[in-house]
Amino acid sequence: MGSKPSDRTGLTPVKIVVAGGFGVGKTTFVGAISEIEPLRSEAIITDASLGVDEIVADGTKTETTVAMDFGRISLKHHLVLYLFGTPGQDRFHFMWDELARGAIGAVVLVDTRRIEACFAAVDFFEKRGTPFVVAINTFHGRRVHDPELVREALRIAPEVPIVHCDARVRVDVQKVLVAVVEHSLERVMSEAAAS
Amino acid sequence: MSDVMAGGRIVRPYTMTGGRSGVGLVPIALEALVTVTPAGMRMRGRFRWESAEILAHSRKETAIVELAAILDVPVGVVRVLAADLRDQGAVAITEPPGATDTADSDYAELLHKVLDGIKAL
Repeated sequence: MGSKPSDRTGLTPVKIVVAGGFGVGKTTFVGAISEIEPLRSEAIITDASLGVDEIVADGTKTETTVAMDFGRISLKHHLVLYLFGTPGQDRFHFMWDELARGAIGAVVLVDTRRIEACFAAVDFFEKRGTPFVVAINTFHGRRVHDPELVREALRIAPEVPIVHCDARVRVDVQKVLVAVVEHSLERVMSEAAAS
Repeated sequence: MSDVMAGGRIVRPYTMTGGRSGVGLVPIALEALVTVTPAGMRMRGRFRWESAEILAHSRKETAIVELAAILDVPVGVVRVLAADLRDQGAVAITEPPGATDTADSDYAELLHKVLDGIKAL
């Protein structure tokens, strides 16, 4: 801390979060563009992380292990982009705050057969003010849905981009990431203009 | 040592960190990059177990979350040990530039670079 990362000659890490319901293709999405096989790391969540002040000294505190998958992409300009898949299960939503902290933006991956699976992710990023795009995964070979019907179903604002992608296809994933950063940039520009 | 068994070490994760989990501080970001310093290279013989492994795997900049995956320990353990190593001057940690503590113009410049980088893949 203290010195700005850009003051160093080394790499600067940045992050984009990939969210969506369980089994929607988040790890596939990350793996399609990551330069490493997606890795899995675990965090142990104790009562303390869940907002309980006291850690009981007799060892009765409960511990839960949350797994998250991530990938890495080296970019020019001495940047390294990490992609994090959020844990899919609803009971791990509190972990999302940690993942979203400092993120450039987020992708909400949608499977139109189970559109309700991404409601929690949309709610979370809206409340937190994290810029996000909705990516409709066409992975299952379903017909391409009208984005405006998806917008209506998700009740998201008109400025939130909705794109189609096949989460297995690198250029599709690249296109989604471009959309995230562009959307984030628009947000910064409009905030700067407003202040 | 009593915690060394034939096949390796059997301890609960936070025994490695003396019971500390870093709760109450702003934790080091998951994607923060850890790099061993020249001083860390010189004194690496002083460190054992996970701390030694962190030094061995951070000759190239490696994220906290990657170290956790490589060492197969929870992220919280790497955070605490990496913070200790930083306090002793053995590693440098580069935190990501957060949107909140960065001027809009600097942040916009960063986003332009990221955008350019992704498009060039």
